[in-house]
Amino acid sequence: MSSRFRASCLAAAVLVAVLVACDREERRSRSKPIGENVPAGATPDTIYAGGGPGPALDPRAALYDNNAPAIADGQQLYMRMNCVGCHSHGGGGMGPALMDDEWRYGGRIDQVASTIAEGRPNGMPAWRGRLTDDQIWKLAAYVRTLSGQPSKDSVASRADAMSAGAPQTLTPREPAHTSDSAQQ
Amino acid sequence: MARVGRSWIAAWSAFLLCSSPAGAQPHAISAPRAAPPDNGNWEMPGKNYASTRFSAMRQVTPANVRKLGIAFTFSTGTNRGFEAPPLVVGGTMYLVTPFPNYLYALDLTKPGAPAKWTFKPKPAAAAQGVACCDVVNRGAVHSKGRIIFNTLDGQTIAVDAKSGRQVWRTRLGNIQKGETITMAPLVANGKVIVGNSGGEMGVRGWIAALDEGSGRLAWKAFHTGPDRDVLIGSRFKPFYAMDRGKDLGVKSWPPEAWKIGGATAWGWISYDPALGLIYYGTSNPGPWNPDQRPGDNKWSTGIFARDVNTGQAVWFYQSSPHDLFDHDDINESILADIPWRGGRRPVLLRPGRNGFFYVMDRRTGQVLSATPYGYINSAKGVDLRSGRLIPVKEKEPRQGRVTRNICPAAPGAKDWNPAAFSPVTGLVYIPHINLCMDMGAMEANYIAGTPYVGADVKMYAGPGGNRGVFTAWDPLRRRKVFEIKEDLPLWSPALATAGGVVFYGTMDGWFKAIDARSGKLLWRFKTGSGIIGQPISYRGPDGRQYIAVVAGVGGWAGAIVSGKLDPRDPTAALGFVNAVKDLPSKTTAGGMLYVFALPR
Amino acid sequence: MTSRRAAAASLPLLLCACQYQTYQSALGDAGVEDRQFLILFWIFFAICAAMYALVIAFLVAAIVRRRRAGNANVVESGRHHESHPLMRTGLVCWTVLVSTGLAALAIASFIADRSMAKAAAREQLSITVTANQWWWDVRYNSSDPSKTLRTANELHLPVGVPVRIQLRSNDVIHSFWVPSLAGKQDLIPGRDTDVTIVPKRTGIFRGQCAEFCGVQHAHMALVVNVVSYGDFVRWWEHQLQPAATPRMPLAQAGYNYVTQRECAMCHTIAGTPASGRVGPDLTHLASRRSLAAGTTPMGKGNLYGWVADPQSMKPGSKMPTVGLEPDELHAVVAYLETLK
Repeated sequence: MSSRFRASCLAAAVLVAVLVACDREERRSRSKPIGENVPAGATPDTIYAGGGPGPALDPRAALYDNNAPAIADGQQLYMRMNCVGCHSHGGGGMGPALMDDEWRYGGRIDQVASTIAEGRPNGMPAWRGRLTDDQIWKLAAYVRTLSGQPSKDSVASRADAMSAGAPQTLTPREPAHTSDSAQQ
Repeated sequence: MARVGRSWIAAWSAFLLCSSPAGAQPHAISAPRAAPPDNGNWEMPGKNYASTRFSAMRQVTPANVRKLGIAFTFSTGTNRGFEAPPLVVGGTMYLVTPFPNYLYALDLTKPGAPAKWTFKPKPAAAAQGVACCDVVNRGAVHSKGRIIFNTLDGQTIAVDAKSGRQVWRTRLGNIQKGETITMAPLVANGKVIVGNSGGEMGVRGWIAALDEGSGRLAWKAFHTGPDRDVLIGSRFKPFYAMDRGKDLGVKSWPPEAWKIGGATAWGWISYDPALGLIYYGTSNPGPWNPDQRPGDNKWSTGIFARDVNTGQAVWFYQSSPHDLFDHDDINESILADIPWRGGRRPVLLRPGRNGFFYVMDRRTGQVLSATPYGYINSAKGVDLRSGRLIPVKEKEPRQGRVTRNICPAAPGAKDWNPAAFSPVTGLVYIPHINLCMDMGAMEANYIAGTPYVGADVKMYAGPGGNRGVFTAWDPLRRRKVFEIKEDLPLWSPALATAGGVVFYGTMDGWFKAIDARSGKLLWRFKTGSGIIGQPISYRGPDGRQYIAVVAGVGGWAGAIVSGKLDPRDPTAALGFVNAVKDLPSKTTAGGMLYVFALPR
Repeated sequence: MTSRRAAAASLPLLLCACQYQTYQSALGDAGVEDRQFLILFWIFFAICAAMYALVIAFLVAAIVRRRRAGNANVVESGRHHESHPLMRTGLVCWTVLVSTGLAALAIASFIADRSMAKAAAREQLSITVTANQWWWDVRYNSSDPSKTLRTANELHLPVGVPVRIQLRSNDVIHSFWVPSLAGKQDLIPGRDTDVTIVPKRTGIFRGQCAEFCGVQHAHMALVVNVVSYGDFVRWWEHQLQPAATPRMPLAQAGYNYVTQRECAMCHTIAGTPASGRVGPDLTHLASRRSLAAGTTPMGKGNLYGWVADPQSMKPGSKMPTVGLEPDELHAVVAYLETLK
């Protein structure tokens, strides 16, 4: 009797320890520090004169890429800031498709954030000063889910749009060509 | 060939009347002053002020059309949707392309029609980001030795037709607000009439007149807001009570909503020189989500008649009050005179976007008949006493819900692509579509320079499964005479000729000639890209009849090809992608001029 | 009815020796629907209290009463099948009592429910409330579309006039509850529900969201100001006025910032280019009693705090913390204060 009691105490202790340690990801209500800028000029892959590597990935990218609350917030912003009006639910329209594998200006999260912040010459509006950097990073994180880039445990498992298509956990992962293959 | 005189048309009509199998039944003819005798040129997109798109040339007939062959071609160097007709005047052919809106002049007197000059207006590239439905241009117009056209970023430019040098350039639109200009201007009585685009971007719609000589603004009328902005004054006498009242452009909207209410003028303008009136329609109100704009939303989705000199409104008819389905009313108004009680009545013939074929008295705006020419389940009809469209309540989109199987879909039973009218047969040749849609409405957020829509749309083929249909419509007997079902939507305009042949193009590139009376397919030619542009017919310097069309798929219907959109998202391109998922396998982008003629 | 009213009036005093506020209280009795609810409440209370008292009495009696010696071997004596006549009577009485009580409760509930539903047919004022995370979008409807009014987080109602509030939601399920005026009604995305309110006396009442809707559900309150009909009409006319262009240079700088930068992406201020629909309408922000759906009272200091860092007051809310420079912050708050 006492050994069973001890065993159940141990099990309870283990359960409590596991639950307490369970920390899926940190949900930040605002970025730190406040008011920082999205990186400017994160260029698409190009030739870097003189050899040598291109610029390293911005460290803030890791805070938003594969981050479920950021992606969820980004989804709401995508609808409300009218990204859906030009890019639909990834298929495109006035703007190019975001769910395919062609990225005129790069498909890495910092490149997408830079595109949103700065605008692009063929009609992508510039949002710097209209959206906070935190919102821009979140949008970039969501835009990448349209082509299936982030890990499947950070995307929504239910399609929330009116057209109720397949959930994003089923979106196939497109190769992200950061080259300019789409540019014609 | 002898010059075609007015008496010739009358005689020909009389001959046909007596010899037609239908007996001595009269039919509609073109309005005499608005459709002068054909001089073999093509000087404005609608051919004439009556917008008949009818060539009186007779060399090509049903008997010999199968011998049509290529005379020459020309690559415009662009690969977006090509909606403009070539213009032909003075032995020169003029082409205006989609963005970047190059203007080419081809010398028809030389073999192979080489380019004489090219004018490059250099419009702002950012304008491509606020153009809802491909970066198209619906054509230029020739007047008094100048070619006048609009650029995507909102400029109107007059170019000397001989030298290709700019004469004047006026900026009318502001892309920062989401305004573009895609329409073909009309020159009437010394005024260049221009309207803006952007009903999906929350712009405030307007139409303006520039002085033809200098390009300076003569008058500008908005389509929402107080009466003084809409140029509604003492001359304004709408026929129906629903269009009468003071400042309806404010009162029929929630407060301030009219400032971003759409009602642009991106379509076709006709002109009656006898009455001095221009006729044109206004676009949908913004946003598409109707819950955000209770009220009739004047002066959207309706037809204005305005005095061409002052812009003062004379009458207005709203075909879709409180529009629910993006049924812009910008379609062409064909000016015709119909037999009426022993005399003749001046009317407008309008294949409407909402699926009804309207015959309206063009002096007063009275609707004489409104008959469905496509399948409609979203409206029960038009009450001719009050003039009001009778909606079907179950099909009304509501915020937060999806309403299914709405017919016709947002592009309507027919979108911008104009029909042709033959005064010989009295029929209206309508290339149009058969699509239905599911529409989900949600709250639209207004941010200037971005879309203001609030709807997820998915379109698909209507009853019968064919997405396109070519109808020959008798406006007097109010029924179709023949109908040709097409697999793909028909997004090209039609051309009618006195020789008895009607031309149109399909979205997979077939340029077709059919018999004007029976609809029998007589000849077809596979061009390199889908056809959405206006075919024309002209008399070349050698006196022969030529047929010309530019093949370059795109526009709203062809955006999946010209914009390289992804078919896996059914809501892409405002729902059109779902209806034409097979288009990329049937055609590719292009921009090639094809000119056909009979062998010598 | 008078005696019941007297009982209803006196019971709270009996039950609760201290004073209780009536601005957010289901016992507040400020609306006709709330009155119907109150009557039902007290009927239930009385019957259930009586039953409870009886059950407690029997329980206590069972504990206190001793077992009689002669009953020790009821089983062996073979007489345990016999029923005691007193027990039989008691059981029958108890069954009748319980059935009567339940029937009374059911009938009272039915009557109350039907009379609340009948009230919906008499509406004279129509309001559409759309719930968002975590604020209330209020639209006053009118047969003249140019007189429709959009405001947020605050309802002004005329006393004695039946008001039908159509309830919608833009995201998740919320619940509209102004306890002093009426009961709860859910706002479900994709559906239209409604509640009819007939306020009986003027005053300021507080409501709040009553269905857990996310991290800031606790800060989703609503202020209801019931006024006389004349005051209500005047208030409506005033709210229809667009925001005046500011004259002071600081407020003008604030106007420029608000209409050209982040604020205009989400907020509407009538009469300015700002026409965003994501967040509350700010045209008459400074005339409201609270900020951020009841999170703090309206005031200069709270405005500064909210605009500078909304995430510290309401973490997780959709309004982002914009990194405003100090002079931008002064300008923006100066402008917002002119929006009376």
